[in-house]
Amino acid sequence: METFLFYLCGGLMLGAAAMTVASRSAVAAAVWLVFSFVCAAGVFALLAAPFLAILQILIYAGAIMVLFLFVIMMLQGPVLPAEVAGRTVGRKALLALPAAAIAVILISWAARGREASFGATPVTGTAAAVAELLLNRYLLAFELISIVLLVAIVGAMSLGRNEEGQP
Amino acid sequence: MTDLVLTTFLKMAFILAVIIGLVPVLIWAERKGSAFIQDRTGPNRAGIAGIRLAGLIHPIADVLKLLFKEDVRPAGVHRVLYALAPFLVFFVSLLTYAVIPFGDYLEVGGRRIPLVVADLDVGILYVLAIASLGTYGIVMGGWASNNKYTFLGAVRSTSQMISYEISMGLALMGLLLVSQSLRLTDVVAGQGVLLWGFLPRWGVVIQPLGAILFMTAAFAETNRNPFDLPEGESELVSGYHLEYSSMKFALFFMAEYTNLVVASALIATLYFGGWNLPWLPRAVIEARAGVLLPLLLSAHVAICALAAALYLRRASRERGRFGDGRDREPGLMAGVCVLLGQAGIAALALRPWEIGPAGASLLATALQVGAFVGKVVFFCWFFIWVRWTLPRFRYDQLMHLGWKVMLPLALANLVVTAVVAAFV
Repeated sequence: METFLFYLCGGLMLGAAAMTVASRSAVAAAVWLVFSFVCAAGVFALLAAPFLAILQILIYAGAIMVLFLFVIMMLQGPVLPAEVAGRTVGRKALLALPAAAIAVILISWAARGREASFGATPVTGTAAAVAELLLNRYLLAFELISIVLLVAIVGAMSLGRNEEGQP
Repeated sequence: MTDLVLTTFLKMAFILAVIIGLVPVLIWAERKGSAFIQDRTGPNRAGIAGIRLAGLIHPIADVLKLLFKEDVRPAGVHRVLYALAPFLVFFVSLLTYAVIPFGDYLEVGGRRIPLVVADLDVGILYVLAIASLGTYGIVMGGWASNNKYTFLGAVRSTSQMISYEISMGLALMGLLLVSQSLRLTDVVAGQGVLLWGFLPRWGVVIQPLGAILFMTAAFAETNRNPFDLPEGESELVSGYHLEYSSMKFALFFMAEYTNLVVASALIATLYFGGWNLPWLPRAVIEARAGVLLPLLLSAHVAICALAAALYLRRASRERGRFGDGRDREPGLMAGVCVLLGQAGIAALALRPWEIGPAGASLLATALQVGAFVGKVVFFCWFFIWVRWTLPRFRYDQLMHLGWKVMLPLALANLVVTAVVAAFV
């Protein structure tokens, strides 16, 4: 049952990711990406990491992608986009090459390390376990990352200001 | 395993029945309540053979009308997203109920069935995650309709939900620090004790500011007045669901009320003790079941007798007033009240004061579920009450309140709670 659900979620996730790339409309691509995130959350839940699964939905699907959709819709307006035309076969092949290379590398890497696969690990991804790791063992790294993010936010805000200093 | 599946399905069926049953009642309460607040009569026309039930037949007529209406699809819509949006809105609004405990446990044949569908380890985060997904249906519907007004409604809804989600999450964090658990059953169980021996240790008592912030954010998340800018009839016609008709519109409409029930259930669960009856813990109910049950039954009989008397008085006063089926209504209602009272008397004749331990446990469960449903219904009424009392915010006021008032207050609440929790 769990194996079946794992392959179902994983397959749907990959299919949705492929549709994200293949969609011509930016909004449709964003919706496919959300679906892909939800499926990824399902995979996390099946790997005994409920906390991660919920965070995946809460942050990626619920917050980041909502902002993405918001920006796409603001830029595009209510008029549905025309099909993106004029992509030649040569350009498509050029774009497909690095993607195929990455896929080959990932698959061969996954195939080699298959013995140490999931299911055998006794670690559980509950909120308490994740908090123990983040706020005890890797506390310094965790706090440093938050400072880096803060710097990034301040930088983005100062770059986003216009000449008159208006926000 | 089969037991687990069966009980889970029964619990889901119970929750679904309560919610779907509450939706028409809430629509009726909204119309009748607004009429009461604005000093009008409200709906009182639709009836079946003269039986009008103070306008309760109106929702049935509405449902039939919406079911048989033509489903119009405007030109130029994004077909898939346009069709998907109402289903998504309704689906997401129902998902949250999975983690809300509506009772302690039900004892059947010596086994205890917890009255919650999924007792997740990360229950509160699940609630927040599902709430954040709720905006997608609105955004997709508004965008896919290919209309300026629906689009503006969708954009407003997105920005509003993003703005108030943060305050909601931060307000909840204060509660988490106090309850020391992300599990909703733990949060509810922690509210069942008394503070200083007389005050129920409810979330609203130990986190008053957090409770107010959470309730305000819940109003914003459910797009209810004073935060119903995504609909904004005066400037956006009716906002994101403008281009929808027939059952697709009905799904948006139903989702609004299921969201209302979700928000009320969350407020009741997190800040008002959930299924806990104040000053009446389960042990006391079970020990005093032989006194409580006869008292409850007597109260039921007394209320039925009073209602029957009132209906009979109305029947004698209004005899022949309409000259059609409506004249029969008070007499019929009096008969129903008498029958209900008779049932109560029959139950009293069964010697309820000699109730056994199994019956006492059932009584305690029933009272707790009743307390939870009562609290939910009260907060539903609270939402309706606020909607017909306050005017709508202007957009800049909405953003000002969300970012410059509620966010600092929620942060301050969190810091103070953390300091107190660390040193006390």
